[in-house]
Amino acid sequence: MTERSVALARASLGGGRWRRFLARFDWPLFLALAIVAVVGLANLYSATYRTAHSVKFDNQVMWTSAGLGLYIVITAIDYRTLHRLAWIGLALAVIAIVAVKLLSDPIKGSQRWFELGSVNVQPSEVAKIAVILALARLLHDRAQGEMQGPAEVAPALIGLALPIVLVAVQPDLGTASLIALIALSVGFLLVKNLWPLVGGVAVALALLPVLWERMEEYQRGRVLAFLDPSADPTGLGWHTQQSIFAVGSGRMSGKGFMDATQNHFNFLPEHWTDFPFSVWAEEWGFIGSVALLLVFAFLVLWIVNIALNARDRFGTAICLGMAAMLFWHVVVNIAMVLGLAPVVGVTLPLVSYGGSSTIAFFVGLGLVSSVSLRRHGY
Amino acid sequence: MLIRSAPGDAPRSPELHRRLRWLIAVVAVAFLVLTARLWQLQIVRGDQYFEAARSNVVAERFLPSVRGKILDRDGVPLADNRPAFHIYVVPRMVDDAARDRLAQLLRLDPDETERLRTRLAAARERSPDRAVMVLEDQGRDRAGLVAQARLRLGPGIEVRDEPYRDYPHGTLAAHLIGYMNQPSSRELAELEALGYDASEFIGRYGIEREWENFLHGKKGIERYITNAKGERVEDAEAEDLIEGPRFVPPVSGHDVVLTIDAELQELAEQAVRAQAAAAVAVIDVDSGRIRALVSTPSFDPNVMTGHLTRAEHERMQADPRRPYVDKTLQQHYPPGSTYKFVVASAALEDALVSPHERMMCTGAHQLGRRTFHCLSSHGVIDLLQALEHSCNIYFWKLSERVGIDRMAEVARDFGFGAPTGLGINGDVPGTVPDRAFYKDRGFQIGHTLNAATGQGDVEVTVLQLAMAYAALANGGRLFAPQVVERVVAATGEVVAEYEPVVRRRVAVSADNLEVIRQGMWRVANAEGGTAHTYGHSDIVDIAGKTGSAQVRSRRSRDDEGTRGWDPRRSHAWFAGWAPASDPEIAVVVLIEHGGSGGRVAAPVAKEIIEGYFTRVKKESRPAPAAGEEAAP
Repeated sequence: MTERSVALARASLGGGRWRRFLARFDWPLFLALAIVAVVGLANLYSATYRTAHSVKFDNQVMWTSAGLGLYIVITAIDYRTLHRLAWIGLALAVIAIVAVKLLSDPIKGSQRWFELGSVNVQPSEVAKIAVILALARLLHDRAQGEMQGPAEVAPALIGLALPIVLVAVQPDLGTASLIALIALSVGFLLVKNLWPLVGGVAVALALLPVLWERMEEYQRGRVLAFLDPSADPTGLGWHTQQSIFAVGSGRMSGKGFMDATQNHFNFLPEHWTDFPFSVWAEEWGFIGSVALLLVFAFLVLWIVNIALNARDRFGTAICLGMAAMLFWHVVVNIAMVLGLAPVVGVTLPLVSYGGSSTIAFFVGLGLVSSVSLRRHGY
Repeated sequence: MLIRSAPGDAPRSPELHRRLRWLIAVVAVAFLVLTARLWQLQIVRGDQYFEAARSNVVAERFLPSVRGKILDRDGVPLADNRPAFHIYVVPRMVDDAARDRLAQLLRLDPDETERLRTRLAAARERSPDRAVMVLEDQGRDRAGLVAQARLRLGPGIEVRDEPYRDYPHGTLAAHLIGYMNQPSSRELAELEALGYDASEFIGRYGIEREWENFLHGKKGIERYITNAKGERVEDAEAEDLIEGPRFVPPVSGHDVVLTIDAELQELAEQAVRAQAAAAVAVIDVDSGRIRALVSTPSFDPNVMTGHLTRAEHERMQADPRRPYVDKTLQQHYPPGSTYKFVVASAALEDALVSPHERMMCTGAHQLGRRTFHCLSSHGVIDLLQALEHSCNIYFWKLSERVGIDRMAEVARDFGFGAPTGLGINGDVPGTVPDRAFYKDRGFQIGHTLNAATGQGDVEVTVLQLAMAYAALANGGRLFAPQVVERVVAATGEVVAEYEPVVRRRVAVSADNLEVIRQGMWRVANAEGGTAHTYGHSDIVDIAGKTGSAQVRSRRSRDDEGTRGWDPRRSHAWFAGWAPASDPEIAVVVLIEHGGSGGRVAAPVAKEIIEGYFTRVKKESRPAPAAGEEAAP
């Protein structure tokens, strides 16, 4: 801790510290994510109203409350403390992913959940945050002159690649690709020399056919169904088709809250996890959909703005990582709902039902809030 | 230890600042693409998808109408309905795997599997949301299997209990009644406009086809809200999405009452059961109403209606006796000697012969270098005897006096050469040759001789001949044949009633007709008449004429001793009426390639006529009302 920050910390003891916290707190960030969280809850309420799933609303309220609490706590914690813990966090995430693979019963053909009491924890969601933190540390240290030679960088890169590979063999290709996309996005924005990255991506693309060979049948089916959703209306393309019907039928102003027929009569199975946007678009129409998109776009750009003004490269990298995570989740999820991307298990941030995803986004955005709070030497 | 923060205001990440515009560009493009797609889906195609989402939840279920019955004149059902189990699927909910599970569960044979496959595929194209019948009339066992395996089969497969066409008498009057089956996808396009549904059968042949509009009725509709599993849900708000009435009850079809007498029909079919291929028409001479119409071999309409296998169909197609063809209407034949009344009528009417003019039959008739043979040497005979013995030479001589054009004129007057107008099963016109007919080939006097004896190019249908003989019998009134007596609604209200129609009075005087009737009486009642040995009845006086019409592809002499079916043998005919003096019914019997008319066809006619007068004829039945011409 620098002398200055120690002095500031001492000075801000008591009511002054709280006032200072409120003054430096990033209200636009908080308001934007609060809007999204409220949209998510309202949407879930409509989606599960008077169904056997209505308990999901109560669960989500609980998780959102817990997430908000964590958000405030993490905002208060200096993100720089995590610099030291980044590699440990990554190691814990890797252990958790492996543990899920080894311990859990297979659910839906792949192991993604981890039962803690009555709650299913999905370590791959948490792993995203761990990867972002570890990546941020790597980029920070390298810019500071530590970890200069390839011998120092290589183990760090392998450490970063490990969770991606492990999630991919779960198998959960959607999440694995998403983590890779987040890491690549941050890398493309912060790495000095882009050529090694470009080379790496080229090699990965060249390996795609091999990957196709090794894919599970259901995964290939999803990709094929995406390429021609109407070919097999009763199969996987059914989701996409019904999702498009739902979105399109919302027209300009929507059918109104709680009046989505596609949703209420269950034409989209489990729409609260992967397809909540279709419910939103059906009930609120083009106007509501674009409004929600604008809030997301604002969030992404606002976080990038925080990154630009962060106090250090570690904070910049964390923010860019979260901006990338938010951006790719939103774009991939909505593209999937609109039939522009294959159906992969990528959630819509703070709108999709699910504890792990909700908590992960609140924690990650809490880090951003922490970076923002400290950008001018808190 | 906290990390060291970079000092000063210099950008901590110069690369980020340099690449910022790329970042903003990517974010902007991504969100613009999503917005554009939303615009496309919600604004450009919004109405279309709104409709799609509406039809997702609004289910339409068709309520089948009860098809009208086909009844004989006494109300005996010839086509009826019985309860049956059908398997319906909602195409959208049944993928190929579910379809195969169903096929496996029911152990469908390859024919049925193929039918299931094509019907489901067609329904997916047409209306994937509406339940469609894929397997009809499945029996209790299969219905039970499907009902039990609901969970295993998945949603969208159900058993419905709906009426199914039933022909309680099997093959009885099969060609006349016809059968039904499912319309093809191509036909459905038109039929749907008429209120049909893919699950409905339509009449394909006979009365079922031609009287379809009366029999069919009108399906009802029930509209309700359904969830994705196809389960019915009560939802007051969603019910606003239902367009049109929620429930339209089905309207039953009308019953069609035929002029056929089922008992007589049965009797006539029994009379020809030993024949390989035959046709019979029995006509009420005072009304033109058809009392029996037989064509054999035939088919079982219960099999044709939804249970015809490919193998069975191919077997029927390959049968040279052509079971699918109605031999009373769709096929014409040379009438042979049954046609001799035409030349006789013409000659009498034109006073070119008197009933008592005697001519010499030596057994051969010289015409240029050709010799035409008679059956035997009949010696010196008059017209009545010529009819009695069916002497070819007598009629050849008459035809030389009358000429082919005049014969054709009389033939047409009796209804030959044009469809009878019954309006079912094709009803071919036959051929009445005249000079114009031979214009291209070159007319020869031999054509006239052939035409006189119903050979050469003369072709008639069984029904034409029966109508002509009814006219001979009733004093010259040529009726339009009639098979439907009335149409009755399910409520009992008579929708339509059809009176006998006299087409015309033939241009042959009553006296001359009487001469021919006299001659024809002798055929069955005088010693030496061609039908006397096998066709004479002690119960009722039969009048008529035999015929043994040579077929053109004849290669060897007829082998009249063997039964069975030899396409080189003559067609055996008997055409006549009974009672001879006070005619009630006209009967025509054709045994295809049966050989001698007197030996083969006459006894069949006799059996039918005797059966009619001893077993069928009910004295209590009021005399049928004839047209105004019938009034004395």
